[in-house]
Amino acid sequence: MATVDTRKPVAPSTAKPRERGGRRPVSPGRIALYITLSVISLLMVVPFVWMVITSLKSPVEIASQDAGLLPSSWQFSNYVDAFEAAPFATYARNSFIIAISHTVLNVLVASMAGYALARIRFRGSEVIFYLFIAALMIPTYTKVLPEFLIVRFMPLAGGNDILGQGGSGWLDTWWALIIPGAVTPFAVFLFRQFYLDLPVELEEAARLDGLGEFRIYARIMTPQVKPALTTVALLTFESSWNNFLWPLLVTRTDSLRVIQVGLSVFKTENGTQWHFLMAGTTLATLPMVLLFLIGQRYFVQGFATAGLK
Amino acid sequence: MLMVAPALLHASLWIGLPVLAAVVLAFTKYDVLTAPQFVGLDNFRDMLDDAVFRKSIVNTVVYTFFTVPFGMLLGLLLAMALHTGLKARGIFRTAVFLPQVTATVAIALVWLWIYNPGNGLFNALLSFIGIDGPAWLSSTSWAMPSVILVGIWQGIGMKMLIYLAALQSLPRELYEAASVDGASKVRQFFSITLPLLKPATFFVLITSMISAFQSFDQIYILTDGGPANSTTMMTYEIYKSAFREFRVGYACAQSLVLFVLLMGFTLVNRRIMGGTRGHS
Repeated sequence: MATVDTRKPVAPSTAKPRERGGRRPVSPGRIALYITLSVISLLMVVPFVWMVITSLKSPVEIASQDAGLLPSSWQFSNYVDAFEAAPFATYARNSFIIAISHTVLNVLVASMAGYALARIRFRGSEVIFYLFIAALMIPTYTKVLPEFLIVRFMPLAGGNDILGQGGSGWLDTWWALIIPGAVTPFAVFLFRQFYLDLPVELEEAARLDGLGEFRIYARIMTPQVKPALTTVALLTFESSWNNFLWPLLVTRTDSLRVIQVGLSVFKTENGTQWHFLMAGTTLATLPMVLLFLIGQRYFVQGFATAGLK
Repeated sequence: MLMVAPALLHASLWIGLPVLAAVVLAFTKYDVLTAPQFVGLDNFRDMLDDAVFRKSIVNTVVYTFFTVPFGMLLGLLLAMALHTGLKARGIFRTAVFLPQVTATVAIALVWLWIYNPGNGLFNALLSFIGIDGPAWLSSTSWAMPSVILVGIWQGIGMKMLIYLAALQSLPRELYEAASVDGASKVRQFFSITLPLLKPATFFVLITSMISAFQSFDQIYILTDGGPANSTTMMTYEIYKSAFREFRVGYACAQSLVLFVLLMGFTLVNRRIMGGTRGHS
């Protein structure tokens, strides 16, 4: 192991909130500011609160015109009943499996690519980088139809022959849910930016020690970009968990439905059972809210880095 | 290089190939079951006569026009308020950003319930002050404003966050120098803050427009494009053409129009903003 300067890389462009020295007396303007911000924050949070409150009301109370805002008795059993009304637990499990798979694959594959594009000079590396940038700009709706066709006509899958005819390909399979969305150009781009900021001495010393390129990536450089790993992991998990269009297109069977699609189907089939629907929606929302509260710093850094780099 | 290979292969198969396929299929008649037939520019000609698609373009522009600039203004104001170093800034920031990390489907379901004409929260609150609220989402005049409100509500967080990060990276010395020279706060805002925020503004504008142009989930849940196509968007028409009418060639042609419009906006914006790109 090389003894080199292992100072932490400076986190790119997300300046620490700066502290103001000295306390000032509270001015009327400041009070007005607090009140305005509180009202706005309340408006942002009220729909979430209303969701949870509704999920704990009885159907009678929901249907009644003159019931109070809060439930007269808190119906925690709604959650148990909702799980019986629709397989929300299965939906959530499916979403979780897909989101975890996406997260692991994206962090692995995109970090390798980002590292190679940032630190290794090879023929065509610039061209490849610009290809990823171009890929970043393709609207989802331009690529989603042919993506669906590729899945549908995937050769030798789901009863298809070598030309992709005869069966249903990857439709209604885990493959379709996981593979097409596994690696994002955005993650490649983000990783590249982070690896670019690492000091060159680090890698030179490792190279002198005779380490191969892959080991330099895995053992020396990647431990230095842990914030990037966390950021990409959180953002990938979030967008995978929240994705709706793609799973809607490629799944038909109930057992493969993800939570977002499951909710929309439940809405269509049992539109008036608001207590169950809101219980399911709470279930779909809660993991992201928790994840955000825990990893807020990384979310913020990720979005801000994406914005300013 | 071996390390880029997996990502490159993935992008080629799931982004490169689809884009090429979309361009080719746009000139065909294709229903998935039978082989595509080359029809030249027919799809594009059909689009000109397609009143619903035209309506969807207008709707998309209206939706974008109202959600993006309003959202940006609110986002900037919020960012500036939070940048004043007040206490509990973290709580405000979290509250405003929360809708951004939540699934649009979940958010749309909650708003569907809030907008419920019979006993939704909105009309319940309105009835307190004696107003008989309309059936928000099934009224041709109220459906679009209702959808726009949800769009603004969900999008503010991201815009605020990017502006906040940009504000925090502005050099403090400039403001100190300006204060010494006797420039007022308002003057400082227009002469220092706003010009320096140009890259952030450009970025927020482009990303917000791209995502507003591709709104789909909330339309699917809230209105199904109705009533009378008053809230249908380009993305929704693409979806309908392909998966309800099985006109895949036509849908690809529509998706190319969306692509070209987005590229056009990006280039025009870049020109107007003076070719600013993010720093570093």
